[in-house]
Amino acid sequence: MLSASERLAQFPGFLRANGYGVGGGDAVQALRAAERSGVLDQDVLRWSLKALLCRRGDEWQRFDELFDAWFLPANRWQAPQRRDAGDGAQSAAHPGGEAEGERSGDEDVRPRRAASREETLSSADFSALTEREHALDIEALMRRLARQLKHIRLRREARARRGRRLDLPATIRRSVASGGTPFHLLWRNQRSVRPRLVLLIDVSRSMVLYSFFYLRLARALASELADVHSFIFHTRVTSVSQALHDPDPWRAQERLHLVAQGWAGGTRIGESLEQFNREHAPRVVHGRTAVIILSDGYDTGEPQQLSDALAQLRRRARRIVWINPLSSRQGYAPTCQGMQAALPHLDLLAPGGDLASLRAVLPQLIEALH
Amino acid sequence: MTSQRALAIAALQQELSRAGYVAEPGLAAALLLMRDLERPLLLEGDAGVGKTEVAKVLADINRTRLIRLQCYEGLDAHAAMYEWNYQRQLLAIKLLEHDERAGAKDLAQKEQDIFSERYLLKRPLLEAISDQRPPVLLIDEIDRADAAFEAYLLELLSDFQISIPELGTVRATSRPLVVITSNGTRELSDALRRRCLYQYIDYPDYDKELAIVRKKAPEAEARLAQQIVAFVQAVRRMELQKKPGIAETLDWTAALLRLDISVIDIGGAERIMDTLSALIKTRDDRVAFPREVVARLAAAC
Repeated sequence: MLSASERLAQFPGFLRANGYGVGGGDAVQALRAAERSGVLDQDVLRWSLKALLCRRGDEWQRFDELFDAWFLPANRWQAPQRRDAGDGAQSAAHPGGEAEGERSGDEDVRPRRAASREETLSSADFSALTEREHALDIEALMRRLARQLKHIRLRREARARRGRRLDLPATIRRSVASGGTPFHLLWRNQRSVRPRLVLLIDVSRSMVLYSFFYLRLARALASELADVHSFIFHTRVTSVSQALHDPDPWRAQERLHLVAQGWAGGTRIGESLEQFNREHAPRVVHGRTAVIILSDGYDTGEPQQLSDALAQLRRRARRIVWINPLSSRQGYAPTCQGMQAALPHLDLLAPGGDLASLRAVLPQLIEALH
Repeated sequence: MTSQRALAIAALQQELSRAGYVAEPGLAAALLLMRDLERPLLLEGDAGVGKTEVAKVLADINRTRLIRLQCYEGLDAHAAMYEWNYQRQLLAIKLLEHDERAGAKDLAQKEQDIFSERYLLKRPLLEAISDQRPPVLLIDEIDRADAAFEAYLLELLSDFQISIPELGTVRATSRPLVVITSNGTRELSDALRRRCLYQYIDYPDYDKELAIVRKKAPEAEARLAQQIVAFVQAVRRMELQKKPGIAETLDWTAALLRLDISVIDIGGAERIMDTLSALIKTRDDRVAFPREVVARLAAAC
């Protein structure tokens, strides 16, 4: 049995095992706080530790439960079990050496065949590429694509920069050195205004061959550009920005699988967008946001609902672009109900079934995002 | 069992209440801890749940000044910390030029003078640390400022000093109580979160909101106040783009009182419709409130 102060000292560690972002110094702080607030009154201790150890909203919501689990005697034995479960999930999240080995093996051969492989890759439909070994090449290609996206935009900004503005305070300040005569004029740089990107990726069954690659695109984009927010949807919307930020691509993928319950089920685009409007849009979408929807438009919900949700999103966002993997196929017309309902609200409907078509559509995409 | 701390919390709650703010004990505990540990308090929550109000009332009960820094996109160090008063500096230089009596030694002195505190414009952050009495520093909506500014702020919050190249380092004469609010439009850095105490403020429940309405709008009768709060709580449970905050509740109360509506019932649905603009703030949400819905909600109150 632990003494009260030991139990208290180990509480931050318990929170860490439950995914809280508490650091080593927090244990000391917790003890200090407890000194002030006393450990006898359960509620006072709870409130104090809650303010001290929580960092964000979701941690705040879960805190009481964890506090009870750790400090209330009745549940004492639940705590270690919980921690074990947490560790188990984590070790399951890296499938360890196997993936590692595969990757390094791939690395050996890549330089030799990279050039020719790239060509075939960029014109192959994503749906034809399911082998795992292609994944890293695709990642590199996607990354290049993302970089291109960034550069083109920056260049456009540079060209569009017209009419410099005088920075008066700085000019006067500089002129102090020359007795108040402004010999050197200083100019204010145009603040580069970058649009925020919000990606909504359809991961329903009909998209199963494409969504994997779109997630890679999202990952590559997020690592190249600062302000990218990614969501996946099938029948409901889930944020995957955090999971995609994982530096290890395999672990990121595993985390995504954990996040996406009901992955590859049916699609209700309208309902998902409605949920997005309700739960995420007020926070994520502002006047400089470009929303990019990556979906085939096969919707099992009401077209009217989709239309309404898009109209609402349209008012909030600056641009809405829809990338449809099917429309790069010969003879495709956006005839399905979902696409029909969506079309009036879109700034651009672009094909995106393979890398070549994504690349071809890039200038248009950038034009639309501008 | 009542510990000393619990008593202190209750006392603070009462004090806050006298100043016009209804606080949960958790918030009061965090405020005490903030004073003990000298840490900033980070408040998160939806717009209109009374985050900014916390700083105001804190200044009020400490009988100290509230210094507010409203963050916005493109906020830079000059606007937040300090700036030289260039116009006056120039004027001083010109005057100096025409002052023919000035000797060489005098000149050096004058030059020093030009970069002295006389020509320094204090912006909120510098002002906050150079006040004699520790003020309350409210950094409002920090998520609107960019990450670079956040880093600047971190430096201030850890050392409580600002370095001005021409003048040297200005150390805090007193440590302000720092309250930071965020609406969550941008993810804040972990470094900032680590330095702060955290408090998530949710929409108030029925009892709390009733207490707030009673406190802020004492002219509304008890029965009406109950109905108002029940109505607003029901509205919040609906799926709206923009849920009404506490400010909206109070606005609406004022609107109802102004129109001499003393009871909310089915018969008055028409008149309630007229006042809804104080509660519902977007067109889409307004569409969700046809007469029947209002009548149904009113009947349930």
